Amino acid sequence: MSGDHIHAEPTNFFRKHVFSVDHKVIAKQFLWFGLIWLGIGGLMAMIIRWQLANPGDPVPVIGSFLFPATDGVVDPATYNTLFTMHGTIMIFLGLTPLLIGCVGNWAIPLMIGARDMIFPTLNMLSFWSVFLGGAVGLYSLFVPMGASEAGWTGYPTLSTTVNGLGSGETLWAIAVFLIGASSIMGGINYLTTIIRLRAPGMSWGRLPLTIWGIFFTSILNVLFIPVIGSAMLLLIMDRVFGTTFYVPTSVMQGAGGGDPILYQHLFWIFGHPEVYILILPAWGIIGDLLSFFARKPAFGYRIQIAAMFAVTVMSAVVYGHHMFTTGISAMLGESFMLLTMIISVPAEILFFNWLHTLWKGNIRFTTPMLFSIGVIFVFGLGGLTGIYLATIGTDIFLHDTYFVVGHFHLTMAASALFAAFAGIYFWFPKMFGRMMNETLGKAHFWLTVIPLTTVFCLMFVMGYAGMPRRYYDHTSSEYLAALQHMNTAATHAAFILGAAQLIFVFNFLKSRWFGRPATDNPWEVGTLDWATPTPVPHYNFKVIPTVHTGPHEFSHPALGEDRDWISMTEPLPGAESDGPDLGGGAVPTPAS
Amino acid sequence: MSTANTMITSLPKEELRHRVNSTLGMVFFIGSWSMAFGTFFLAFMILRQRVGVWPPEGISLPSFPLAIVATSIMIASSVALHRAMKGLSAGTDRARRDWVLTIALGLGFAVVQGWLWLDLMAAGRHPTSGLYESLFYGLTWFHAAHVVCGLLGLLWAWIGLATGRYGTHRLSTVNNIAMFWHFVDVVWIILFLGFFVF
Amino acid sequence: MRRLFHHLAGAGTRLWSTAFGVAALAALAEAQGGKRWGPTEAASDYGYRFYDLFWLITILCSVSFAIVCILILIPALRDRARPGHKAKFDHGASLKDKRVTTVVSASVFLVLDAWVLVIAMTDLREAWWNIPDEEEPGVYQVEVLAQQWAWSFRHQGADGEFGTADDIIQINELTVPTDTSVSFQMTSKDVIHSLFLPEMRTKRDANPGAINEMWFKAIRSGEFTILCAELCGFAHYQMHGKLHVLEGDQFESWHEDASRLGIAAFDTEDEEAQWAWKWE
Repeated sequence: MSGDHIHAEPTNFFRKHVFSVDHKVIAKQFLWFGLIWLGIGGLMAMIIRWQLANPGDPVPVIGSFLFPATDGVVDPATYNTLFTMHGTIMIFLGLTPLLIGCVGNWAIPLMIGARDMIFPTLNMLSFWSVFLGGAVGLYSLFVPMGASEAGWTGYPTLSTTVNGLGSGETLWAIAVFLIGASSIMGGINYLTTIIRLRAPGMSWGRLPLTIWGIFFTSILNVLFIPVIGSAMLLLIMDRVFGTTFYVPTSVMQGAGGGDPILYQHLFWIFGHPEVYILILPAWGIIGDLLSFFARKPAFGYRIQIAAMFAVTVMSAVVYGHHMFTTGISAMLGESFMLLTMIISVPAEILFFNWLHTLWKGNIRFTTPMLFSIGVIFVFGLGGLTGIYLATIGTDIFLHDTYFVVGHFHLTMAASALFAAFAGIYFWFPKMFGRMMNETLGKAHFWLTVIPLTTVFCLMFVMGYAGMPRRYYDHTSSEYLAALQHMNTAATHAAFILGAAQLIFVFNFLKSRWFGRPATDNPWEVGTLDWATPTPVPHYNFKVIPTVHTGPHEFSHPALGEDRDWISMTEPLPGAESDGPDLGGGAVPTPAS
Repeated sequence: MSTANTMITSLPKEELRHRVNSTLGMVFFIGSWSMAFGTFFLAFMILRQRVGVWPPEGISLPSFPLAIVATSIMIASSVALHRAMKGLSAGTDRARRDWVLTIALGLGFAVVQGWLWLDLMAAGRHPTSGLYESLFYGLTWFHAAHVVCGLLGLLWAWIGLATGRYGTHRLSTVNNIAMFWHFVDVVWIILFLGFFVF
Repeated sequence: MRRLFHHLAGAGTRLWSTAFGVAALAALAEAQGGKRWGPTEAASDYGYRFYDLFWLITILCSVSFAIVCILILIPALRDRARPGHKAKFDHGASLKDKRVTTVVSASVFLVLDAWVLVIAMTDLREAWWNIPDEEEPGVYQVEVLAQQWAWSFRHQGADGEFGTADDIIQINELTVPTDTSVSFQMTSKDVIHSLFLPEMRTKRDANPGAINEMWFKAIRSGEFTILCAELCGFAHYQMHGKLHVLEGDQFESWHEDASRLGIAAFDTEDEEAQWAWKWE
């Protein structure tokens, strides 16, 4: 809890390992949870790619086990379930637990110099709600009429009364609701902790960018997850109680009067901030890691924060770019187009600052650094392709084609996921007291980035050629059959991508128990989380540290020749008062 | 030593800090929940505007007198709660009585709310009857769920107050519960205005 | 310096081809032995606008991305950590840095976004959203009913009214004349579908309980494609059809024959078939 006193460590097995209120334990719970679900979602992706390249063929090896009723063949309804659950799982049960649940929980108290989160019990509840949500989602796969088939977006009226016979869709909505509750709890906890529990001297201008990223994400979580919560409640009511929020008059006998497009508005008012919820931690993490491994300050620290803030503020007003073909008015469409283009400006600014952080650095190409640079690469590709979709003239053709799939996989699956990997490789030594294998890490990186770029760039071509998404079989129409060769190529690359993740799994598991023991600060980084012993004691800091220096004072001239980093608890040599506060204040240096 | 009698401003620094932390978290929570209800209200406004004629012709509407009664009871319970909270800091004995009054009025609201639903269903208007009913039942059910949570919280707080088991840590929780109850009241007022006035 | 250039050229080429080689191949829009890398040639009068805008964005984005890649590669090669090498200490917080950041971002925005935005807005107002007025003569009207899992297209018969005995109803097929504005009103019977005409370069959702509008003008005759572009259930992928565009006189004779067949097939008992609405 807050305050200077240290609570005794729990001894009961359940309180220590299962229902723990220690943020470090909860972070690891989120880590295992997220990685396992990433694996499940990834397996679904492999099956989807198999079906696309070999329509109607039984899935090898695991097919007859997974789909016994059809002799291992994925049938069209199952296919729809697969991509629905793949999307839902990857976003809500994979990326969110990893980037926000794990990294947020691990990094926040340690980096700001606190003993734990400000509401530890709420923290524990946050993990167990996402766990429960995942359980409900898993259960929904086994109900008689199958799980949700309406896409992770769940548009009515496909997701309401017309398709409403089974409970799969309702369970899906309940799962999303529970997972959302977890994010709200986490958001409240993170915001209050960052505001109230910073150590003395840890001013806003000295916070690591990771914390800033998670701070802005938490604002969005707190404000916009409730929107999808309510949208899901309306959906559940339509399905279970026969209300007509989303069901129009022409579809119902007698009653009705609802609006399916209302759902799209509500969904995307949440949905667009959601993608920023996933990318803001990523931007924060690489903002720090690029500095740490280039051994120089994060370039334009304040501007990076301003850019993240601008994106946070604007995130909800661009949502209509998902709805350009739904029949919204011309004026509304053009406004969303303009706003969407404006919101790309802060991202451009971030690119400028990241590249400038690398420029004239002293770069250490560790695995976390490779993944951080990888984020710049894949986010560059993904972000630029957003321009095609923001522009209505091209979006009319490209909407609901593979172009969109390529775009969001590069921005979310690649960028956010690479940042998650970077974070895992980076914090692993402190979390588990061992180093992950560098060679395997580098192999993981290259064998991921190359096939991944191939798969999703192929999708840009497919989309340009007019191939719609969410199709079970492209060979059934002549126009699309001529594009089938691209499906085959993408599947081959996807299988390599999938296999490459096994390198990570092997490295992670092997290093967890047999890795080389890590020193307290193997990366030579000055943030407070590395100023702790390894393993980190349950109270984090015996004495709450006082901060004297910023997080990015690498290669500061005052440090001399034998070191290029300084702990945040140490004042810069020769500084009369405390060192730079806002990343650029006056520093007594000999030159400039 | 009843710390429930301590005035806020005379709290020791540690407890004041705890109070600020707790309240800040609660403010974010209320902010979040405002967005949840806000979404319902947004849906209400969009759907209502689409339909044009509102209320739709030829249907029986929920009872206006009952709604007025419910609203008055709800506002009264908030007033009672406000008096109770002030009484707690000043250390008056009326505080506990006012707290009981708050819960009683809250229960009264629940009863009238139930009556409103039964009355409407007796007139043959169910959630499946159409858009107006979907919105009315949907919104009031969502609100009612929060009334229930609020009542449970008020009850829990009262038990602690009645048995005198409160340290100032718990007082923050009591404060949060009170904030929640006021929030539930404000939501009702907006609901009332939306369905029965405008 | 020469070594650096050699490195850059090699790595740059590799990166470029990995990222864009495949996309560049898409410029070959011709079929090669049954294999295609891009869309087939546009067949509508505004179709070229999509192509022009797409490739303008591609050129602008390729240049930007190439710059980003070069700016990654140069430090990656030149600034590797090695004994005796130090990083340049710079927070990038000076006024000059802030000015440069602002100027660079503004330029990127103006070149990438604003340029594209202006062209797009013109295209929308002149083409896609410039739905011909129903009062205009020579506009060919078609009502579309989407359902799980077929497209129904209704033409007015000789009487020029929808919902009469001489209406022509086509299922999963649509026949229209060349060089004529074809105007659609579309809705759905059940879930959301989306009418996608790839060669005409247009798409619009068909929503239940609402009517959406779309239009195109075919500039050549031929056989084209109709696809569904909004998930509508497990047979979403099967909801495709053929768009026949016929020359003027050929179309006239088709229309006459089809109208006659329509009258013959007209059945007042068949309520399902009476889905027409008065053109809005």
